[in-house]
Amino acid sequence: MRKTFLLARSDFRRAKGQTLTLFVLIFLAALMLNLWLVLSFDYRQNFDRYHDRLNAEHAVFVIYGNSTEMDRFLTDTLEADKETKEYSLDESIFEAGGFDYRGSELRSAFIFMDRQTALSRPVGKVEIVESGTEKSGIYMPMYFKTEDIAIGKDIEITIGSQTVTYPICGFFNSIMAGSNNCGMIELVLTKDRYDELKEAGFTQSTLCSVRIENKEQSEHYEAAINKAVSEKYPDACAASNSYLLVSTSRYISQIICSGIMCAMACFILLIAFVVTASNITNYIQDNMKNIGALKAAGYTSRELVFSFLFRFLGITVVAVVCGIGISYVCFPYVNTLMVEQTGIPYQVKFLPHLAFFALFVICGAVAAAVWLSSWKLKNIEPVTALRQGIHTHSFKRNFVPLEKTKLPFQFALALKTTCEGIRDNIIVCITMFVLSLIVVFSGMMIRNVIMDMTQFIYLVVGEMADSLVYVSADAEQDFLQEMQADERVEKVYLFHTMQVTHGDGALLTVNITDDFSVINNQNIACSGRCPEYENEIALAAKYAKEQQLGIGNEITIAANGKKETYVITGLVQNSNNMGKDCLLTRAGYERMGKLQEMGYSMNLKAGTDIDAFNAGIKSRFGEHVIQMVNMHAQIESTSTVYVTLIKMIVAAVSILSIIIIVFVLHLLVKTLLGKKKQDYGILKALGFTTGQLMVQTAFSFMPAVILSTIASITICCFIINPLIAWFLRDLGIVKCTFTVPVPFIAAAAAALVLFAFASACLMSYKIKKIVPRTMLARE
Amino acid sequence: MENILLQTEKLSKTFSSGGVLQHVLKNIDLKLYKGDFTVIMGASGAGKSTLLYALSGMDTPSLGTISFRNETISGFSPDELAVFRRKHCGFVFQQIYLIDGMSVMDNVLSAGLLVSKNKKELVKTAKELLSAVGIGEEAWNKFPTQLSGGEAQRVGIVRALINSPEILFADEPTGMLNSKTGLDVLDTLTDFNAKGQSVVMVTHDMRSARRGNRILYLKDGVILGECNLGIYKHGDRERHEKLSAFLTEMGW
Repeated sequence: MRKTFLLARSDFRRAKGQTLTLFVLIFLAALMLNLWLVLSFDYRQNFDRYHDRLNAEHAVFVIYGNSTEMDRFLTDTLEADKETKEYSLDESIFEAGGFDYRGSELRSAFIFMDRQTALSRPVGKVEIVESGTEKSGIYMPMYFKTEDIAIGKDIEITIGSQTVTYPICGFFNSIMAGSNNCGMIELVLTKDRYDELKEAGFTQSTLCSVRIENKEQSEHYEAAINKAVSEKYPDACAASNSYLLVSTSRYISQIICSGIMCAMACFILLIAFVVTASNITNYIQDNMKNIGALKAAGYTSRELVFSFLFRFLGITVVAVVCGIGISYVCFPYVNTLMVEQTGIPYQVKFLPHLAFFALFVICGAVAAAVWLSSWKLKNIEPVTALRQGIHTHSFKRNFVPLEKTKLPFQFALALKTTCEGIRDNIIVCITMFVLSLIVVFSGMMIRNVIMDMTQFIYLVVGEMADSLVYVSADAEQDFLQEMQADERVEKVYLFHTMQVTHGDGALLTVNITDDFSVINNQNIACSGRCPEYENEIALAAKYAKEQQLGIGNEITIAANGKKETYVITGLVQNSNNMGKDCLLTRAGYERMGKLQEMGYSMNLKAGTDIDAFNAGIKSRFGEHVIQMVNMHAQIESTSTVYVTLIKMIVAAVSILSIIIIVFVLHLLVKTLLGKKKQDYGILKALGFTTGQLMVQTAFSFMPAVILSTIASITICCFIINPLIAWFLRDLGIVKCTFTVPVPFIAAAAAALVLFAFASACLMSYKIKKIVPRTMLARE
Repeated sequence: MENILLQTEKLSKTFSSGGVLQHVLKNIDLKLYKGDFTVIMGASGAGKSTLLYALSGMDTPSLGTISFRNETISGFSPDELAVFRRKHCGFVFQQIYLIDGMSVMDNVLSAGLLVSKNKKELVKTAKELLSAVGIGEEAWNKFPTQLSGGEAQRVGIVRALINSPEILFADEPTGMLNSKTGLDVLDTLTDFNAKGQSVVMVTHDMRSARRGNRILYLKDGVILGECNLGIYKHGDRERHEKLSAFLTEMGW
């Protein structure tokens, strides 16, 4: 064992450059892998830990009204269901409203609760995490804490048609209603402020929080209770949520981030695997004589393989430990960004089981690469090795005969080198495939999230206009006439959102319009078409798959206590409703009952002040306007986190790409220079200059770089949308229609190739040190 | 004066090894003439190869100057020296140093295409030279590992001559070859010299040295003596005796 170790140490000292490259690749793989493991296996569980600690609910219902009779009915209904474990029924005020968040107005449904009630509920209580000295005011969810929303500052909140200002007393955590991606936001008021709201006549409601036996059944449970309540009180169900929906929606950024990290870790590990295998094969080829001498001296093949294992696993263990260490240094930054999105604090701590798993996976991959590539040592006889593994036949081919080729001389010589290094070309191709995927992904994210979010928004919310105004049915005609006459309005169309139930009570969000050909997102149906007639429906693709329904099948849905059957004409998707939505024409919906209010979306002319426009409508129609939304501001406030996240991801993967390409090329150039040192000496003696040889060396990598980049970019441009859809499948996305910015990607790919060429040139500068005299004196 | 190809003045070369300075060449004044077959002889460590490398621009002197046709090349940068070598010099090495990854023809053309842009003419010259040294067409597409030592060295000579260099440097060209193939290589060099090719050869083999018309004897970094043998004639007994006497005088 000792001599094996000494052999490994000697090889290690001889190949410092290769060791460094391998170290960097394994370090990066370990860093990414550990971040992914922590995000996927612990970060997500943090939700459950918090959920259990606060005894949070698995299903939450807001029901209009607060009476003894309703309480009795709810108690009976909940206790009749064997899934119910424990529950809380408390008084609250449920109203739509908004406040300024990150520079724009955030609109949502608010559940106002009195502080004492919110803190003392057996199920679904809140936890105050920060509080100031204010005795009267509001406690905000931690999720919304910003520079402007801070203890001691005032917050102006629109509640229904009124605007109220509250001093901020503190912040709290609420699992099921503590962020704007839960569909409802809980706001806690001090007793005096809550009583003020009650006296002002706002709608009182019952907040029903339930813990159930099997949280995986939370969606079914939610549907069943909604169905039971709707049957008794048809218009009482104001809002509801389930554990499954919230746990997914609060972790969208975590899903995106961990998916990317997982992909990056796998790709870098793949490169490290190929580099290790190539390293060993090259070593065996270059050191055939030494191997022969060692075998002749009595070393067994097993001992030689073990020396490789010692050497590579030694590097791997150190690199993995460093990578895991640095991942814990980086994690607080990732955590800060994630917490902004989830709103649930996460305590960063060392997780030994995940670290050991990362170590095991990476060491396993490297050991497999060593074992597979050093296998042929077993078949090398000492005598054959001492004769440089001489073969009686030569199967070499002259790929680029200088006599016949039309290529420029330098390029022809470079191409000869290219053809000689098949293994190097494979490494280059794999590396360029990974980098091309990064380029395409980054290009697509920059185009669709950072520059123009339209496609991203369509994917998340389905439809997007400038302004959305909810008017009561009696004012609809006047409103429409006025909007059609208003020169600031380019387009006005019905786009109203309601809820319907299917089967046992599964809630589906339904988007209703008169004519789907006039809405802005003409790709809303990812398969088939939107409904045109009153007996047609387009159903969420994810839900359709779960229910084993397809285009052409019939589905029976219910609203307003009435059931109707529709033919599925198409499949739709958007992540906002986690794959539980559908489209109906107005005539189609009204088969189940007339609309009592209508949401009208409007496209306004460029330069129109949306807030002023909405304010004008409000003053003109007064109480007939139920709600107005500046959709741009709304989207902007919620998308900031996504944009920041995507910017961070793009920056991280770009830096990573540069590191990968530099180190892989460093390894390849170094290996090539080592292998061809004598050839370079001869060529220099013949009169080749350092510059010529540097360009020749860099050119020798270019065919593989250029061809693999072109092929990979082309492939990636086609697979990127399906790939993203696959990553986001849990969010109900089955088809991605992001714009692929081909010119941008082509430019980035060209820059990548140029960067690779420049890097290879710079790394070949070592050729300057090769002087013909040294070569001649080498023997 | 017109016939002088290379000239050195007070050429010195010092190596430092482990902090110890070794003066390998000491103030050498030398003139090499066009058309000569100059042989540099001496014992191991005398500085023969160092002198050859310095003369051919493969190495730079520590002191003194080297001029080629009155142009001082000793101050050239490495790249200028490379251009000088490709234009004016040809090299034949003891270890042959053909490039393994290239065929016979490509080895020759890789040197030729550095200078000539007329590939058609160059290929024609390469074929003529290869045929002239006895490398038949069937070997032109072979790789160096598929050739015998003598064949490979003759390909090396063709590569050295492809650009019609003004001076051909040969460092122990028969050192790695057996007696018969060594003789073939010497015949090739002698034939080219007879056609006007200037040759500078380093050797410690008397049989090889006999081919030269001018013998320089190097000892401890200085040229100890010089002997002119005249034009080579096969089986010239007197020439052999003259060379033997010179070498005996030099302490060989």
